Amino acid sequence: MASTPYASAGDEDRTGLWSRRPRFMTWSLLIYAALILWAFISLFPIYWTITTSFKTAVNVTQGHLIPFVDFTPDWKGWRSLGLSPDTISAPSTVRDEFVRRFLNSIVASAGASFLAVIIGSLAAYGLSRFSYKFLWMRNKDISFFFLSQLILPPVVLAMPFLVLYKHLMLLDTLIGLILVYTLMVLPIVIWIMRDQFDTIPLELEQAALVDGCSIWGAFLRIVLPIALPGMVAAFILSVILCWNEYFFAALLTSSNAKTLPVMVASQTGSQGINWWSMAAIATAAIMPLVLVGIFLERYIVKGLTAGAVK
Amino acid sequence: MASMNIENVGKVYGSLAVIHGVSVEIPDGEFVVLVGPSGCGKSTLLRMVAGLEPISSGDIRIDGKVVNDLPPKDRDIAMVFQSYALYPHKTVADNMGFALKMRGDDKATIETRVRKAAEILDLVPYLARYPRQLSGGQRQRVAMGRAIVRDPKVFLFDEPLSNLDAKLRVQMRAEIKELQRRLATTMIYVTHDQVEAMTMADRIVVLRDGRVEQIGSPLELYDRPANIFVAGFLGSPSMNLIKGRIRAGATPSFETDEGIVLPLNAIPAGSDGQPAYYGIRPEHFTLGGPVETRISVIESTGSETQVFARLGQQKIIGVFRDRVEGNTDQVIAMTPNPALVHLFDGASGLRLG
Repeated sequence: MASTPYASAGDEDRTGLWSRRPRFMTWSLLIYAALILWAFISLFPIYWTITTSFKTAVNVTQGHLIPFVDFTPDWKGWRSLGLSPDTISAPSTVRDEFVRRFLNSIVASAGASFLAVIIGSLAAYGLSRFSYKFLWMRNKDISFFFLSQLILPPVVLAMPFLVLYKHLMLLDTLIGLILVYTLMVLPIVIWIMRDQFDTIPLELEQAALVDGCSIWGAFLRIVLPIALPGMVAAFILSVILCWNEYFFAALLTSSNAKTLPVMVASQTGSQGINWWSMAAIATAAIMPLVLVGIFLERYIVKGLTAGAVK
Repeated sequence: MASMNIENVGKVYGSLAVIHGVSVEIPDGEFVVLVGPSGCGKSTLLRMVAGLEPISSGDIRIDGKVVNDLPPKDRDIAMVFQSYALYPHKTVADNMGFALKMRGDDKATIETRVRKAAEILDLVPYLARYPRQLSGGQRQRVAMGRAIVRDPKVFLFDEPLSNLDAKLRVQMRAEIKELQRRLATTMIYVTHDQVEAMTMADRIVVLRDGRVEQIGSPLELYDRPANIFVAGFLGSPSMNLIKGRIRAGATPSFETDEGIVLPLNAIPAGSDGQPAYYGIRPEHFTLGGPVETRISVIESTGSETQVFARLGQQKIIGVFRDRVEGNTDQVIAMTPNPALVHLFDGASGLRLG
């Protein structure tokens, strides 16, 4: 290397780099410090929840934080759920309830998301492809009208829904929950899907029409497959929103259709809140979402940025 | 293969009419080019033929059958779009075979037909690729392949070459023309490029503002343009149109607005003193002679020399095979060949004689 005529030039470059090094290092240090701080802020609640599920009452009240150092982990929280190693094979009513709530959560969020993605995609396709006029509202106003539903705090809808559901006999049913969740996530799905469809050139459908498709055929065979990443993203986002929903679940369900968030909140015993069992249920409840986040994150990103990057 | 009749077809958006009663008859196997400046309605007309745009008035017939209300899928037409409109989630083979699949052909037929089309278009090595893995020219071929596998009654092309670079465009132009000879199918081709129109068409339809200006073979239109629009639109550089008056006298002549006299062979009867345009193509000047102009710029492409000059106050262009040299404002004599002059009415712009 040293014998090549370029060696000296290379050395010069390197000294140049070294002279710039301190500033460069300061910047990266600052950036990494900020990132670490943010990661800590994001991850600490999860750490706290998981460790709390292994604490006893004393450890909770005394604020012990680090397992094996300032407290000895205990299966107490998980045992109360019937999910600790020593109770997992024994019959447990709490575990049965937990499984029921868990399944309720899955059915409610997956069902609502599925429904919302189907209805929302159709609505979004219409808004993206055809011109509507409803009273004074055009496509843009209609889209905004959908989104504006999110501005309204859910509390405003509480009483009407309670009365409505009572008359329709939908109180404490999964169907009722699915319907209200569908309504809740529909604006977001429509918004995401409309962006998706807007990025698909109209000529593709026209080519499909010329190639022998009907309008529905062009939608199902050409548009849907191309919009699939967006649909997956919208579906996942809806599942997350529904999974974590507490307000309507607490309001509209009592025993049959109760979901996990309601069960988490109801972990109060005669001596106050059972933090350990609440933490154990919460841990079990966020696990599916953590898995979704880890394995499907790239689909979400791909779907949400499909329009931005060609 | 089919004949196509466009009869008095009109298109109205709300209160805005964009196509005013256009009629074109296309016999079986003819290559017709619709040409015109942007916004002239040529693409709209093509899309109306395809069935992608409803017709406001008139009739479109394919093989004598009115297709006004038939959806595109029932018209048996194939269309090549400007953006190619390839299905991004399908391979080249699936893109080309899609129409056949929709038609219900069996797998073996689809495969043989796709393969045959791919051979014609040199696409065999790319059949398993996706559109995003192809170059612009290859995508263009796939779009063509998607049309030809079907063996439709009519091919429609909507500016298919405008996204290609100049060299590829010339090459594809020849290939499309050859393909048309080979398939002998009726084709309607839309372009704004008059060179494409001149080189490819059996017949050209010149459109402006939703009206037909002239229909005819390329050379008919070039040699006898019906009005100053067609005269100026076809040919590059475009025809010189010099304003002035016709003078009868002992020998007929043309006097420009500045009083410069240009030669004429014959004039229509009773046109003495009539305001008119004196149309002369740049290549129909000869160097020398009585007409003197002042040079603005001289550009040489090597094979020919373009002289941009002023005749009085009016700008003219002459194109010569000979090398011409000269400086700005220098006087150069170039005289129109009186046998090749076109006269147009000064008011209506229509051809005289």
